[in-house]
Amino acid sequence: MNLYKYASPATFYPLAGKLIPWFAIPAALLFATGLFVGFFIAPTDFQQGDAYRIIFIHVPAAWMGMFLYVLMAIYAGIGWAFNARLSSMMASSLAITGAMFTAISLITGAFWGKPTWGTWWVWDARMTSTLILLFLYIGFISLQAAIDDARRADRAGAVLALVGVINVPIIYFSVQWWNTLHQGATIRLLQKPTIRGSMLAALLIMLAACWLYSVAVVLIRLRCIILEREQNASRFAEVGV
Amino acid sequence: MNWPDLSMGGYGFYVWGSYIASLIFIVWEVVSLKQRKKALTQQQQSSKAVSAPVLRGSINETTS
Repeated sequence: MNLYKYASPATFYPLAGKLIPWFAIPAALLFATGLFVGFFIAPTDFQQGDAYRIIFIHVPAAWMGMFLYVLMAIYAGIGWAFNARLSSMMASSLAITGAMFTAISLITGAFWGKPTWGTWWVWDARMTSTLILLFLYIGFISLQAAIDDARRADRAGAVLALVGVINVPIIYFSVQWWNTLHQGATIRLLQKPTIRGSMLAALLIMLAACWLYSVAVVLIRLRCIILEREQNASRFAEVGV
Repeated sequence: MNWPDLSMGGYGFYVWGSYIASLIFIVWEVVSLKQRKKALTQQQQSSKAVSAPVLRGSINETTS
């Protein structure tokens, strides 16, 4: 099987259509399972009471916001370097979902901060760098929307995305580099997590749900972008421009 | 299994507030995507019927 043929938008379009239900349906099921475990099985925290249940959406959303940005920058970079249209379209598609997850993480963080820290917002290193991440996403989306020629928009967006990627490690390590109000990581790759099993399970199920959801919506949007660009191209071809 | 206390031990506003806010975002994303898709299929149908007269007109204006 020649996998390279799927790099062409026209052949990827039907494949994406077939893949969408395989991500969308499990995403819905996992959201339901994650919320069930998070609200019905995970116990009340002895320090934070029930307010901690916000983390089941806050932490996955924050991870997705960072992860999708890196993915967007990689796709935008590949699209720019190798002149791969589909890759650039993927970057445009990822931007909106990434921005949405970043916005969710900021808002739910504020909802968590008010009862636990006593404030909705502080200019803490992690929160400020996450706000910058949201601005980078918005900048990427608006820059692309402001340029009529799709390929020029892709290149300009790629520069912004690649420069902005430096912000992601800053967000991740901000809690170690600076003395922040935001707490350090609870789950690390190489160490035992510091939370109870059912809490961790709810968090990981919600993360998987956010992942699958992202793939589904990004593919749906990618199909729209492919169609939109094809339509524009055929119209321009028709009038001989 | 234990039934959660809906008041969330006094944190109900914050817990439900954050989940409702997240739900609004997700519903917004899904609905706006559906609308985008619908607009595209409608456009496709109309452009098949009349071959994009609006765009043709506007390009003639700028080039002439």
